[in-house]
Amino acid sequence: MMEKIKSLAEAITLVKDGDVVALQNMATQAAPMALVRELIRQDKRQLGLVVLVGGMAVDWLAATGVINRLIGAAVSMEQFGLCQQYRKAVEHGRIRVEEISETILNARLGAGARNLPFLPTRGGIGSDLIALNPDNLKMLDDPFGGFPVLACRALVPDVALIHAHRADRFGNIQYEPTVLWPDIGIMPKAAKKVIVSVEEIVDSDMLRRHPDRTILPGFMVDAIIEVPYGAHPTSFPPNYGYDSRFHRAWTKVSRDQEATTAFIERHVLVPGTQQEYLDAAGGKPVLEKVSRWEEN
Amino acid sequence: MGSDWRNSPDAADYSVDELMVSVLADQFHNGDQTTNGMASFIPVAAFMLARLTHAPDLIWLASSGGLDPRPDRIPASTLEAPLWRDSIMYIDQYTDFWNFVLNGRWIKKFCVGAAQLDQYGNANNSVIGTDYHAPRVRLPGTAGLADMGSIGKKLYFWNPNHSVRSMVEKVDFRSAAGYLDGGDARQRLGLEGGPQLVVSNLAVMDFHPVSKKMRLKSVHPGTSLEEVQAKTGFDLLLPEDPVPNTKAPTQVQVDLIRQSIDPDGMRKREFRHHT
Repeated sequence: MMEKIKSLAEAITLVKDGDVVALQNMATQAAPMALVRELIRQDKRQLGLVVLVGGMAVDWLAATGVINRLIGAAVSMEQFGLCQQYRKAVEHGRIRVEEISETILNARLGAGARNLPFLPTRGGIGSDLIALNPDNLKMLDDPFGGFPVLACRALVPDVALIHAHRADRFGNIQYEPTVLWPDIGIMPKAAKKVIVSVEEIVDSDMLRRHPDRTILPGFMVDAIIEVPYGAHPTSFPPNYGYDSRFHRAWTKVSRDQEATTAFIERHVLVPGTQQEYLDAAGGKPVLEKVSRWEEN
Repeated sequence: MGSDWRNSPDAADYSVDELMVSVLADQFHNGDQTTNGMASFIPVAAFMLARLTHAPDLIWLASSGGLDPRPDRIPASTLEAPLWRDSIMYIDQYTDFWNFVLNGRWIKKFCVGAAQLDQYGNANNSVIGTDYHAPRVRLPGTAGLADMGSIGKKLYFWNPNHSVRSMVEKVDFRSAAGYLDGGDARQRLGLEGGPQLVVSNLAVMDFHPVSKKMRLKSVHPGTSLEEVQAKTGFDLLLPEDPVPNTKAPTQVQVDLIRQSIDPDGMRKREFRHHT
């Protein structure tokens, strides 16, 4: 079997300028933030982003000019508010949004995963989303005589970026039992390449004790990287909660361009390793707090 | 527990968030199933209140992922793990959640918060402004709302900031289908369900059964018909009889909300000027 362990820098060279990148993310949850920081460090350009609900990751990628389009259902940091850098970039036309609903995204990725031209849904019918995306969404008569459905064109991202709990060195990926967002279920199966950061790399025998927790087989995975707290400052159930202090800090600086640049410098560009990044974010006391799911 | 909820008198002292929670709670009954999305403190408080009083068997799927949870109080997020504490089942959001919901047999009621709501119950959470690709304000986006609007759900809107900006004649962008242009427009597209009720910080509204235009149902104590109309961006239909006052929450309801459901006051975060 092929070994899939790579460094962050090696793994992210698989992402090319202009690629469509599917990003695991909910508002403040489970984003592969270490992979996102590496996209910024490598100064990727003109990426398209696919998200169900994007959070701080989208804001960072907007602030640094890495993305110029977004296919997704929402972008928000929930209790921490709108993503201001993303908002500004969209309002100034620097990011083009192809807004779709959750079932439309699932249909598009599902069609991509199954090599179908499209899958239908009933979600979104009657909304303005359809007129917004005429190349990818079309009303279709039901061949069996019922009401029309919405045909959602297949979406095949160039790369999927995922964070998971553990992997073996062959890229078999395990996820702890928790609420699973669609990113895990379908994004990696639709994408041409799959890059996964994990909390820990373990021996294959560890995975064999709980094969029910393996969500992706190694043959679907191109690169794995061990990154403890790799989803920080987002939550990664059950391991750790979101870092509310870090979110508040970003929310505050993101309204000001100079402060945003300084924040990205300090938290994204300067730290050369995950440990340096975590230290800059407050180090051990912060990690202990988020591991206990405490607000800080 | 709210064992004496049946005979509880109206609360002498309550705030409008508690009134909204109690009105919304009345819409959810034993035998119903419902779910919640992001930043949905008022609906979550309503579900928890219903479960502690008249609807102990209301099925609640927290954050679209944790079935029948037992949080000890409403946490700072209605999406994160502390809300789905002690669930009886985790739902895979891709393969299962939408199977449960799209099917039409289950989870028939959903609460919607929207930046703009129009006279036919169409909702906008996408953009403010007429040019979608250069909007005045980029809002979060439709998320699952566009789905909920088109798949036969009964929709209950909550609006903590009733104003001419949030209650508009026509939404800038239709993120989710309400009654579209009114009348039988929904039926002609094969869409069942639709908007049922709007609970704002000023009043309760429903929709006319034929025209599907929004109609005033009751105004909250301390508010007037004139104030509600002045803060609404279109002419509200009026009921045939004089507009009643919204029923106040009971003392038991208010005590439950304050003491056990939401002692940290998360529900107040949704109001532009904290109540």
